[in-house]
Amino acid sequence: MNQPATIKKNKPASYYAWVGIFFLCLAGLIGALYYATIKIDYIWRWYRIPQYFIFKEKVDIRSQVDGKITEISYENGKAIIIVKTIGENKTYTVPQGDLKVSKGEYVNPGYVLAFYEKWKPGILLQGLWLTIEVSAIATLFGILIGLIGGIARLSSNPAFKWASITYIEIIRGSPLLVQIFIWYFVLGTLINTILGKYGINPIPSLWYGVAALACFTGAYVAEIVRAGIQSIHRGQVEASRSLGMTYAQSMRYVVLPQALRRILPPLAGQFISLIKDSSLLGIIAIRELAKATREVATTSLQTFELWFVCALLYLALTFTLSMFVQYLERRTAV
Amino acid sequence: MIEVQNIYKTFLVPHRVQALVNVSCKIEAGEVVVVIGPSGSGKSTLLRCLNHLEAADSGKIFIEGIDILDPKTNINKLRAEVGMVFQSFNLFPHKSVLENITLAQKVVRKRTKDEYLDKAFYLLNKVGIKDKANVFPDQLSGGQQQRVAIARALAMDPKVMLFDEPTSALDPEMIGEVLDVMKNLAMEGMTMVVVTHEMGFAKEVADRVIFMDMGAIVEEGTPEHFFTNPENERTKLFLSQIL
Repeated sequence: MNQPATIKKNKPASYYAWVGIFFLCLAGLIGALYYATIKIDYIWRWYRIPQYFIFKEKVDIRSQVDGKITEISYENGKAIIIVKTIGENKTYTVPQGDLKVSKGEYVNPGYVLAFYEKWKPGILLQGLWLTIEVSAIATLFGILIGLIGGIARLSSNPAFKWASITYIEIIRGSPLLVQIFIWYFVLGTLINTILGKYGINPIPSLWYGVAALACFTGAYVAEIVRAGIQSIHRGQVEASRSLGMTYAQSMRYVVLPQALRRILPPLAGQFISLIKDSSLLGIIAIRELAKATREVATTSLQTFELWFVCALLYLALTFTLSMFVQYLERRTAV
Repeated sequence: MIEVQNIYKTFLVPHRVQALVNVSCKIEAGEVVVVIGPSGSGKSTLLRCLNHLEAADSGKIFIEGIDILDPKTNINKLRAEVGMVFQSFNLFPHKSVLENITLAQKVVRKRTKDEYLDKAFYLLNKVGIKDKANVFPDQLSGGQQQRVAIARALAMDPKVMLFDEPTSALDPEMIGEVLDVMKNLAMEGMTMVVVTHEMGFAKEVADRVIFMDMGAIVEEGTPEHFFTNPENERTKLFLSQIL
């Protein structure tokens, strides 16, 4: 620790040789993959990928009435077209685009007056956003469920304790895929049918997916929380209780703040898993990143590029999260 | 002030141990009682029964007339009146020294900021570590930590202070500073029950000494009686071993 920062160890030549071998292997692997794709005449078209993130959409402005264009004026870069009809005059505003008509022209309903272009998020960006949204909500509820579950697991009250154990064991003992199906096809059907009988709109599948993820994560978080609480020395509870604090106060002010710091790393791992597991939600028609990629891949046939992009996007999400947690750990280090 | 009547306590885990066997004693207000005895004799268990960190299996314990083993007694309210100092300090490592002393004042006593800060600085001054208010416990020496722990307990204005081997985990050169704080406390008239191996402290400060062995009180009396002519054979043996 007290070594000068500039200390320099001379590494043996073999060290650099092995570094070289590592990069050589990496390059070899990528090269071999590329060579294989050439062999099957796959044509890489990376330039086609950005349009799935963001693209320009052409929007037509059409006349809804019969009439004559009496005036075209410009204001703040917008064009205002006034169409004179038998009844009232109709006004159309065109944001900075190309006009297809000129003054004095006669138009009828459906006639294109002008069009303009608008940036729209592509399907991959939408999918990425949905993945973030679903993961964030599931994380939030996962923490809540896990906190309650973990504390209940340590309770001496059998109702709380056994409820928590049952929940944790069932969730951890069955595949997430099956749980998603149960949430959507069993609970979803039940709930939506009953809601329908009372004339209430059905809950969209997105929420069953979020519920499945939150409950799944909650069980693991509960075990992490339990371990965290148990890792805090008994003396901490004794000291706080001996000062007259209630069990709840002792938990809130003394045990949990210490436990949370300790469980931050395993918790982060759990939430990184959650982001990755959200890719399963595609099977109940939630168009998150993986599902969006699958849709684009089938229509565009740029399969190779798209799946690499998809993996990289997940990597970006999980990497950001782990960086954020590392920052938190440093900040809260005792 | 404290009255213990015929309490029993048996631990079942990790194996069956009779920690307390028919223990009765009385502690008057303002009295300093030192409990000594070989390890495993039940002295810490007795102390922990007094603020219900351990529940006695049978018998009765009254603190200022309140039956603490009665399930209807508000045990949190009672504990606020009974300060405790532990062998391993048990300071809250995630809170600064000041926060350690103010936390329970805030959440249990519901004191205002002025009140709890005044109290905290008064006590830090009293235990001699005024300048350490904003450091964290792990930056303090053992002796300083134990003095913070004493200040933390005193901040609740307890009527009794229980000390569970407060100097056993300390390096020898730090024992003195903690004992000095305890002596001052005794001179101010605090009711104290002290489990300790510091015979010097017992001789000098105690009003009464209780000797325990095998979960029972074997002998009790004034320090003069105790250290000059103990009656019981086991007491004599114990004293000959440690003095």
